[in-house]
Amino acid sequence: MIFNLALRNLLRNRRRSLATLLAMAIGSTSILLFGGFSTNVDYELHTRNVRKGGHLQIQHRDFYLYGSGNPTAYGISQYPKIIEAIEQDEVLKTMLVVVTPTLQFGGIASNYAASVSRTIIGTGFVAEDVNKMRRWNDFGLTTIAPLSPLAGAAQDAAVVGIGLARVLQLCDALNIANCPRPETEEKADGKALPSDIAQLSELVAASAPGAPVADPRRVEILVVNARGAPNVTSLAVIKAEDQGAKELDEVSMMMQLAQLQQLIYGKSESRATSIMLQLRHSSQIPQAVERLKPILAKFSTDQPLTVLDFRELNPFFVQTMQMFDTIFGFVFVLIGGIVLFTVSNTMNTTVVERTVEIGTLRAIGLRRGGILALFVTEGALLGLAGAVLGAVLALVMASIVNAIGMPWLPPGNVDLVPFTVNVWGENTMIVGTTLALMCIAVVSAWWPARRAAHLDVVEALRHV
Amino acid sequence: MADEVADVAAVNSELSAESVFKTGPVAVMTQVEKTYRLDSVSVPVIKGVSILVRHACFTVLLGPSGSGKTTLLNMIGCIDRPDAGEIVVADTKVAELNDDQLSDFRAKNIGFIFQNFNLLPVLSAYENVEYPLLLAGASAKKRGTRVPRLLEAVGLSDRAKNLPGQLSGGQRQRVAIARALARKPKLVIADEPTANLDSQTGAAILSLMRKMVVRYEISFIFSSHDPEVIKAADDIIFLKDGLIQKIQRKGPGDSPR
Repeated sequence: MIFNLALRNLLRNRRRSLATLLAMAIGSTSILLFGGFSTNVDYELHTRNVRKGGHLQIQHRDFYLYGSGNPTAYGISQYPKIIEAIEQDEVLKTMLVVVTPTLQFGGIASNYAASVSRTIIGTGFVAEDVNKMRRWNDFGLTTIAPLSPLAGAAQDAAVVGIGLARVLQLCDALNIANCPRPETEEKADGKALPSDIAQLSELVAASAPGAPVADPRRVEILVVNARGAPNVTSLAVIKAEDQGAKELDEVSMMMQLAQLQQLIYGKSESRATSIMLQLRHSSQIPQAVERLKPILAKFSTDQPLTVLDFRELNPFFVQTMQMFDTIFGFVFVLIGGIVLFTVSNTMNTTVVERTVEIGTLRAIGLRRGGILALFVTEGALLGLAGAVLGAVLALVMASIVNAIGMPWLPPGNVDLVPFTVNVWGENTMIVGTTLALMCIAVVSAWWPARRAAHLDVVEALRHV
Repeated sequence: MADEVADVAAVNSELSAESVFKTGPVAVMTQVEKTYRLDSVSVPVIKGVSILVRHACFTVLLGPSGSGKTTLLNMIGCIDRPDAGEIVVADTKVAELNDDQLSDFRAKNIGFIFQNFNLLPVLSAYENVEYPLLLAGASAKKRGTRVPRLLEAVGLSDRAKNLPGQLSGGQRQRVAIARALARKPKLVIADEPTANLDSQTGAAILSLMRKMVVRYEISFIFSSHDPEVIKAADDIIFLKDGLIQKIQRKGPGDSPR
């Protein structure tokens, strides 16, 4: 009966109820749309990191903290056996998409023809495995990661960051757009060759027997091998890829794992600095970590190994999501405050208007608790209706925004992606927001309801 | 006929005179006092009043404005508490009841009829009458039997689905009477029930209430200035300045029923 009475009372003053309802609905819609946007950023970054480095990486215990100084010193021995053990584990093999080794190195890359060089950080990987990893799409995103051109390429092929290509003056050779050459100042002293003599000189140089054909995409890299000696190889840069951040873009080089291992380990045992594991679902991480423990223990007798998940490996992802969570919390508190005062104001007005009715109900035997329940129920119904309406509006608006597909660049992304708001399917967020707003509505109705319940019956009946 | 006039001091002694009453009183007030405080000013409204309300009788409180009629009704109706004195309604000392117990007590033993009807505007006539039964946790079967009977008794069977806003003043007051009688109370408090009605409707309502007294053996206590109400009363209590001037009791059958 209380529910029935509360519902009818809300319908009694439709205009006021509607105004309160709309205020709540707009609040709920705002929260859900921002939550949907935040969720999309989460999915984008999550997916990007998992595509790039897998869910888990097995590394030497100290590689993550100290490895950038001398990566080869932290190579994992017997890594093929570890991979084999992982692939044969009854539980892990049902969860795994890819398990693949990578080798990180530091060195110097040089473009002899342009007389430029710079320090680099490089990675060697199995391109076919990496391409499998780049297809991971557990959240059903529309963004597709470009596949590595190293798959099927020659052993001496390399891919560099666009920034590195720019520094090494490979832009023309690689046909990179928006990658200008540095302007060279003409020397004021000395006379230039006459044009006919200069042309003749070029022709002679080109037609000379045994003259090397200069490949403009060729770079030389110098690394320190496993024994501490310098080693050099020549690589053909086949493509430049944007790495997202300028600092990374200007130092990144990717190459075939076998080629890099040959360069660093020569004929001795080849190692990997990481073994990347990509799982079917991110939720499988804890279970996979548990299964990995005994396997790693078996291979940790002479090398301390550890497992790091992608969140530990990508603190930027964690920080970004913490920032979004903080903003979401801030928005929620602001909107919650508005809802609180709106509902409270409505309920206060209602209590004043229905003072005689409250007196009557009390006189005919409704307890204080009954009055309290009546008004709190009205607040809860307002909250529920407002939040549900807000959720429906948010779903509709999210559909419209997603259909428009406005392009934007998420943090750390390389390419523009369609602006997407993930509200559909985010049941936890929708239900959580609805319940939270309903609770706020109940809390805001509580004080006016309490006041109503404690009205003096005689005073209430006398109210004009 | 037992037309008697009792002064205030005689009331308590009358309580023991069982021969005067067919059955025990429904309500007894003994030396009740009530003072209202307006800011720092104390206004004594009831100054040591002792009365009793007889079973299945029509009792009217008469007096000028400010004499304390409504305050007295509120205290008998257990929606207000005295500062001093004792009130016993339906053999229960109401001072001993806490707020929830008092609510339950009112729901069970006391019906209210207000000058402005005070029906719940969002409930139909049927639902307004049904509401006290719902509060009592009456079964659907019981409600389904009792509510139509009450609406029939007040002549509103055909208006059961109407909201109060769709009823005339007289019809609303009939619904209020049916609501007051829903739980078969021992006492019905009516504060000027005919004041907002035209004379013809008021007379009809009065006649209806008299019928209810007979039919359900319920005591009614009114405050009223309406001569018709006074004429219909079994007992008349004259109040002035918070004191009882006199009590005029008629034996059952003396007043028109």
